Amino acid sequence: MSFSCREQELDALLAGELSPADAERVRAHAQGCAACAHALAWLRLERGWMAQRARRMPARPALDFSALEARLASAGARPTPAPGAAPHRAARIASPRSQWSHRGVMAMGAAAAVAFIVFGVGQVRPVSSPEVPWSQEVLVSGMLQACVDPSGEAVAALEDRFSACLIASPALPEY
Amino acid sequence: MLAAEDEAPEAREGERALLRRARTGDPAAFRALFERHAPAVWRFLRDSFRDEAAADEATQETFVRAHARLTTLRDEDRLSAWLLGIARRVFLEARRARGVFLDVDGEESEGLVEAVLPTPTPEDLLLDRELEALLAEALGHVREERRSALLLRIDHGLPYEEIAQVMGWSLPKVKNEIHRARLQLRERLAAHVGGRP
Repeated sequence: MSFSCREQELDALLAGELSPADAERVRAHAQGCAACAHALAWLRLERGWMAQRARRMPARPALDFSALEARLASAGARPTPAPGAAPHRAARIASPRSQWSHRGVMAMGAAAAVAFIVFGVGQVRPVSSPEVPWSQEVLVSGMLQACVDPSGEAVAALEDRFSACLIASPALPEY
Repeated sequence: MLAAEDEAPEAREGERALLRRARTGDPAAFRALFERHAPAVWRFLRDSFRDEAAADEATQETFVRAHARLTTLRDEDRLSAWLLGIARRVFLEARRARGVFLDVDGEESEGLVEAVLPTPTPEDLLLDRELEALLAEALGHVREERRSALLLRIDHGLPYEEIAQVMGWSLPKVKNEIHRARLQLRERLAAHVGGRP
């Protein structure tokens, strides 16, 4: 290719990004230029291979929308409506699952409040036991919290906080 | 996934309509967008991680983030580039979180003279399983950032300007890196083209 031959122009030609006039100019040049014809053959090859590769996509679980749907539902995710945009009818009419989720969250909140009052008032434990070092007590409370809420996020957050693997830790004393 | 320029105007308008509906919370519209773009996002992440399971997780994460941020997409015609940009950030975060660099940088081949490469024949266009494996291996020898830029161009059809946005590079750097990636790829595959049986 001479200095006037630019692979990017050939690439743009194949991608259909050139104006009709530029496309004609590049095409005409490539017909009479061995180096450009050579480069064009490689560019076509790349595009052809990529297209075939894309058609051979394996079936993957991540490409199943139901997997994503479950993840979005668990996160309670909803796109923030654009300013001035009316919510879609399907979004306005909450699905049975989302209604259930809403009620479920409220019920869980109420149960948690009751549990907090019952355990907080009725089971007053010493703030710190001289037998149990502070670090172990924290570790135990962390374990209990992880057992009540076994979500991966909660466990990961706890483990991150204590810089330790709580669930698998064998160092806990028996009570 | 196709770049906006490659698509028919009707297809583009259809995607814009889907996007508008998805932004108002229409789950069917978001599902349609997912089904259209998820394979390409997954492929981009698989090529970035070079790990299918990691690409699975990162694809889901990409669409969770995209779902939450749909209203921040300004240019409706750049959905592909926007999604791939999110995917790229998810990849970089995952790589950083693991504390390891999954990618082994490829060898440089700056002195490659293009003229020594054979000219591909029409028969070379047939990508059989063996050649597909060789292609994957050859791509693996290209440095990760350079490989991503190349694939954004030749696999995902993004214009250079959009690749610059996704990669956070200047336009001259995008052009330079893609050119170098192409030369490296061709050098690796040269033995398998130009008169293969």
